[in-house]
Amino acid sequence: MLKRLSHGQIHLLLGILLVAALIASAGIGAFTFTPGNMVRYLGEMFGWVPAAAAADELGRNVFLKLRLPRVLLAGLTGAVLSVSGTMMQGLFRNPIVEPGLVGTSAGAALGAAAVFVFGSDSALALARPLGSLGVPVAAFIGAFGATVLVYRLSTSFGKVNVFTLLLAGIAVNAVCAAGTGFLSYIARDPQARNITFWNLGTFTTADWRGVTLVGTFFVVCFLWSLRYGKALNALMLGENEAAFLGMEPQKLIWRLLVVNTIMVAVATAMVGVIAFVGLAVPHLLRLLKSPDYTFLLPASAIMGALLMEGIDITARIIIPPAELPIGIITAVVGAPIFLAILLRNQGSGAAGFYG
Amino acid sequence: MAEVEAVRVRAGGTLILDDVSARFQPGRFNVILGPNGAGKSTLLKVATGLLRPSAGEVRYEGRPVSTFTPEALARKRAVLSQHVELAFPLPVQDVVMMGRYPHFRRAPSARDREIVDRALEIVGLDARRTQPYSTLSGGEQQKVQLARVLAQIWNYDDAGEHRLLFLDEPTTSLDIHYQIHLLDIARDLLNHNCTVIAVLHDLNIALHYGDAFFVLDGGRLVHEADRAESIPTELIERVYRVKAYRVEDPANSQALWRFAL
Repeated sequence: MLKRLSHGQIHLLLGILLVAALIASAGIGAFTFTPGNMVRYLGEMFGWVPAAAAADELGRNVFLKLRLPRVLLAGLTGAVLSVSGTMMQGLFRNPIVEPGLVGTSAGAALGAAAVFVFGSDSALALARPLGSLGVPVAAFIGAFGATVLVYRLSTSFGKVNVFTLLLAGIAVNAVCAAGTGFLSYIARDPQARNITFWNLGTFTTADWRGVTLVGTFFVVCFLWSLRYGKALNALMLGENEAAFLGMEPQKLIWRLLVVNTIMVAVATAMVGVIAFVGLAVPHLLRLLKSPDYTFLLPASAIMGALLMEGIDITARIIIPPAELPIGIITAVVGAPIFLAILLRNQGSGAAGFYG
Repeated sequence: MAEVEAVRVRAGGTLILDDVSARFQPGRFNVILGPNGAGKSTLLKVATGLLRPSAGEVRYEGRPVSTFTPEALARKRAVLSQHVELAFPLPVQDVVMMGRYPHFRRAPSARDREIVDRALEIVGLDARRTQPYSTLSGGEQQKVQLARVLAQIWNYDDAGEHRLLFLDEPTTSLDIHYQIHLLDIARDLLNHNCTVIAVLHDLNIALHYGDAFFVLDGGRLVHEADRAESIPTELIERVYRVKAYRVEDPANSQALWRFAL
């Protein structure tokens, strides 16, 4: 059914669904907000309408200072992870690659955890002059180090060996996880709690600073990535064939690695490690419509945001008044869906993943 | 015209190509012959501009390939290699459209679409254009790749400058029907302002289609010929280390080779 729609129509359809999800996500939770309330609060925030009675102060504060940034950060994170997964799968010409697999997320977590533990009051507070950017910068360094290490280990003579890639990913992830584990072990209690949260992913700490940071990096990186849809398509044929079509595969790979790492590191620094989303979204979109990257890149941004809103709503309402960590939901809900897709498609032909 | 001049390629201390110079005749089906390890594929990689030689130069129409931008080079020459597999279920027409990538920036023009349509017609796959590439047989997949390289350098009104098609053993693993079909289409390009430069697996097929021959052995160019008949039997026997017998094709009295150890 979706196959008959044009790329633009699917983008529009996903966009409409995303708007609906954003409104739902903004309304649902321990505090419930009607769309009317939301519009009024927003109007007050931007100064379009005069502030209402003080009786509503609490609701307004909850909505503007907690709920709204959370909703936006969730959407942005979903978009970041999905676009990253799409780019990575294109780079490695493999549908199972995602930021969690090639060490990007785990490296970012290690870098950020180091700032959590050492950053506040010790002599190791190198990141302090950078102020609020300390955590994301350390996350980028960790993420880039891990990703480049995996890429280097899995590359010989300019070509990526997928099996080595997977094994290198496992090894580097294990080392990063061990490092993060060690840091949480030596950390004092509140810091350790931070790190634990983080390894499971959470939006409870969302604030406008995080939204601005993730949003800025996402928009810049995403707009930049749109130029490379054709190149990623050509790369499906292999590096040599892409070169014969006028692309520069080696340059492309390095640029995409850097941009991808920046996005994922900043998002991970804010919300922690969330696996599976970057894997599932491009996968689903390929099944629904097309593996064409000029379609996939924008579509995965929208659908990633959409999916993450759904996950975040679930996290908020499933065990009130407590909240479930995001990573638990993505794994519990996502992995079986993923396996189902895999199994259904395995039977229908030699093409394996998609048949 | 494409020419390589005094090309040397060294990899890990061994000399793979040793001072090879060749002028590939414009408008002809140039065939590079030689046994395994003679450097045929390396010469093709150098001639396409993919591999930069350790010494020497490659020129198209007198202009060094190193001075072309990657896009300009892609509009000048296309390369059909051995079997290409795709990990993702792309429709046939999308694969062929990749051939037009060097010609447009964002979205394909009407002319790009027209060329893709014609290329699919030429290879006889226009009825299967929306089918996923991965569901086709190996022979059909190679026809799709041929349509892709046609779309890259060929156009129905033969406009623009002279162009080059490189074939890197594209018929390996194809049955005889697909081999002949593919090479017939490639040869027909000679009538459309194109030159073909090929490395072919099967010696008899190579001799049948070629009209300029370059024999490589041990990284050196050891013989050039304009006609299959003028390649000495002793040369074939020496470089391929076989006994060769020339027989006459009863159909058209062309030379055929039979081989034995």
